[in-house]
Amino acid sequence: METQITVKDVAKKFTKSLKRSMAYGALDIFQSSLGFSIDSSQLRSGEFWALNNISFDVTKGETLGIIGCNGSGKSTLLKMLNGIFYPDQGSITMAGKVGALIEVGAGFHPMLSGRENIYINGAILGMTKKEIDAKFDEIVAFADIGDFLDAPVKHYSSGMYVRLGFAIAVNVEPEILLIDEVLSVGDLAFQNKSLQKLSALREKAHIVVFVSHNLEHVRNLCDKILVLNKGELVYYGDPHEAIKYYKDLSNESETTSIKRVDGWGLHMKHSSGEFNIIKGCLVDDQAKEIDSLIIGQDIIILIEFEVNQNLEDIIFSVAITEKRAFACIWQMSNDSNQNNVYHLKKGKYRLRVRYKSPQLAAGTYVPSVSIRNAKTGQLYEKLYGYLKPFQVKYKENDHIGHGGILHIDHEWHLHRQDG
Amino acid sequence: MNSKQYSRVYEPNLHLKLGMKIWIQMFAELIQHRELIWRLFLRNLLATYQQSLLGYLWIMITPLVAIGTFVLLNRIGILNIGQTDVPYPLFALLGLTTWQLLSTGIVAGSNSLTSAGALISKINFPREVLIVATMAQTIFEFLIKFLFILILCGVFKYMPPPGIVYFPLAIVPIFILTIGLSLIFSLINGIFRDTANILNLMMTFSLFLTPVLYPVPADKIYYFRLNPLTALVNAPRDLLVYGHIQQPMDFLISTGISFLIFLLAWRVFHLVETKIPERL
Repeated sequence: METQITVKDVAKKFTKSLKRSMAYGALDIFQSSLGFSIDSSQLRSGEFWALNNISFDVTKGETLGIIGCNGSGKSTLLKMLNGIFYPDQGSITMAGKVGALIEVGAGFHPMLSGRENIYINGAILGMTKKEIDAKFDEIVAFADIGDFLDAPVKHYSSGMYVRLGFAIAVNVEPEILLIDEVLSVGDLAFQNKSLQKLSALREKAHIVVFVSHNLEHVRNLCDKILVLNKGELVYYGDPHEAIKYYKDLSNESETTSIKRVDGWGLHMKHSSGEFNIIKGCLVDDQAKEIDSLIIGQDIIILIEFEVNQNLEDIIFSVAITEKRAFACIWQMSNDSNQNNVYHLKKGKYRLRVRYKSPQLAAGTYVPSVSIRNAKTGQLYEKLYGYLKPFQVKYKENDHIGHGGILHIDHEWHLHRQDG
Repeated sequence: MNSKQYSRVYEPNLHLKLGMKIWIQMFAELIQHRELIWRLFLRNLLATYQQSLLGYLWIMITPLVAIGTFVLLNRIGILNIGQTDVPYPLFALLGLTTWQLLSTGIVAGSNSLTSAGALISKINFPREVLIVATMAQTIFEFLIKFLFILILCGVFKYMPPPGIVYFPLAIVPIFILTIGLSLIFSLINGIFRDTANILNLMMTFSLFLTPVLYPVPADKIYYFRLNPLTALVNAPRDLLVYGHIQQPMDFLISTGISFLIFLLAWRVFHLVETKIPERL
C-alpha cells in the first residue's frame, strides 16, 4: 500500500499577543521578500509551540481520527495537512487531491442564492463548471434544501447552511478528505446521512482524516487514531487503545483542574465545631497517598481529623461522588452487618475505609464524608466536594465502556423470534 | 484521477527553494484557477449590487458628481482649470476613469485579503486569486465607464481620432501598477489594518497632485513629469484627444516602472503567501 500522507517532525508555533504577532508578521514578510530564508526552529519571545514533533503516515484506504482536548492542536494539524498553515519545521507530503471540510460554508456569500453559492464554493474547492454541472443534482438532493435553492443563503436555517456546505465538499470527490467537527452540527437524520457518505468514500479507497469530539463517530469510522495533548502526539494507532488513552487523559486533566478551582458540581460544608477534618484522600495498601486507581481496585479512603472534646456514639459515613454530585457509593459505619459506633476522646484520629473491588467506570470521583451522632442524629460535620478528587483508570487491554457509572462484564445473545 | 498531479509538499521556506522556476509555477497556478477567479469575480459583482436600487448605475454616479463639482466651480470662476482641447466634462471623465482604475483598484485590492477572512483561514487556494478577482471587477467597472465616455462623445458630437484603437493598450500599464500595489498593500493590510485608511487618504491627495481633472499648466510641466502617474493617466486620454501619446518617453519610463513594481510585488506576495492565514 502506498503512503498518501507523510508527516515528518512537524512543528508549528504561534504567538500569544496580537501586537507581537503583528511585529513578527511584518518581520517575516520583510525577510521573505528580501529572499532570506527564515530560521523558524527557534521560539522568539511570546511564542509557543502549538504543535511539536509530530510524525505519522497514513496509507491509502485508511481513515484517521484525530482526538485531543481543546487547544491540543487538532485543528492546527488539520489546517497544516490542508496547506493553510505551513510548518515551521519538518515536512508534510500529501499525495492526492485534497478536499477539506474545515468549516462548511466558508466562502458562502450570504447575499447570493444557494445555486450561485454551489458554483462558487465548488470552484473554491477546485471543481470545474463541468464537474459541478454533473454533480449539481446530487448536491442539491444531498443537501435537501428544496425550494430554498434560489433563495439567498442568509435566509437559510443553520442546518440547511451546513447541509449545503457538506454536500458540496463531499461531492468534490477528493482522494484525501479532511474533516473538522462538522458532523456535530445538523440533525440526527443528516448526521446519519453524512456518516453513510463517509463510509462510501472510505470504500473508494480514499483517505479520510477526521477531527471530532464525538468518540462514538471516531471509534466507528477510524482505522487509526492519533491523540494530541498540548501540541504533542501522545498516541497513534489502534482506535480502542487511543480512545482509552484519551479518556484517561481528559479525566486526568479534569482531576487536576478540580484541584485548582474547586470545580465540583455540589459543594456542601457543614461544621458544628467539634471536629476539624485535617485531610481526606485516596491511599494504597501501604497507606501511601495516591490520586488514581485502576477499575476494580479497592478504594481506600483515609480521613484525618481532630476532635476537641470527648464524644460518644459517633458514626461516620463516606461517599464516593462522581462529577454530577451523584453518590455512587455511600456507606455508613453502623451498617446492619457491622455496627461500628465509636466513642472518641479529645485528640487526633485517622479513619480508614476500604471499599472492596468496586466496578466504578473510569472517570473522576471525589470522596465525601459526614460525621453524626448515632443516637441523636445530630450532624457534626459534613464535607461534600471539598476533599481531593481521584481518578479511576482503565485496565490494560480493557474494553471501553460506553458510558454509565458501572463497569461490568457483558454477554450478548441475539435470536430470531419469528422463525 | 492521477495522484501525482495533486501531490504537495509543505515545508518551511518552500517557496525560496524553487529559484527561477517559481515564475512558471506562479503562472501555472493562476491559469489553473481561472475558473475560481471567474466565479469570485461574478460573486463580488453580483453581491455588490444585489441589494441596491440603482445597481450598476453607481459605477457612473461617483465620477459624474466629482466632475459636476469641477464644472460648477469652473463656471462660477472659483477654479480656473484652463483650456482643454475637448469639452471639459469629456476631458475630466477620461482622466477620472483612468485614475479610478488605480484608486478604486488599490483600495478594493488591499481589502481583498482581509475581507476574505474565513475563506483564507479555512480553505487552501492561491491567494493571488482574490486580488485578481477584485481587479477583474475594477476592469469591469472601467469598461462600463468607457462605454459611457463613448456615448458622451456622441452627445458632444466629438469624433475621436483613429488612435483610439490603441486605447486598451494604453491603460495596461496603470492597470499593471494597480495589481502590483494591490498585492503589496493587501499583505500589509493583513497585518496593519491602518493600511486601508492611509491608502484612502493617499488616493484623495494624489488625485489632486496628478493632472486628472485639469490639464497640465504649460509653465509647470516639469513638476508634473516627476510624477510617474502623470504619464499613465495622460497617455490614454491623449489617444482620444490627439490620436497619439504626447510624451511617449515619459509613458515608456512609467510603463517600465509599473511592470517592475508588478513583478516584484507578485514575487513578494508569493513568498509571503504561506504566512498570511496565521496572521490574518
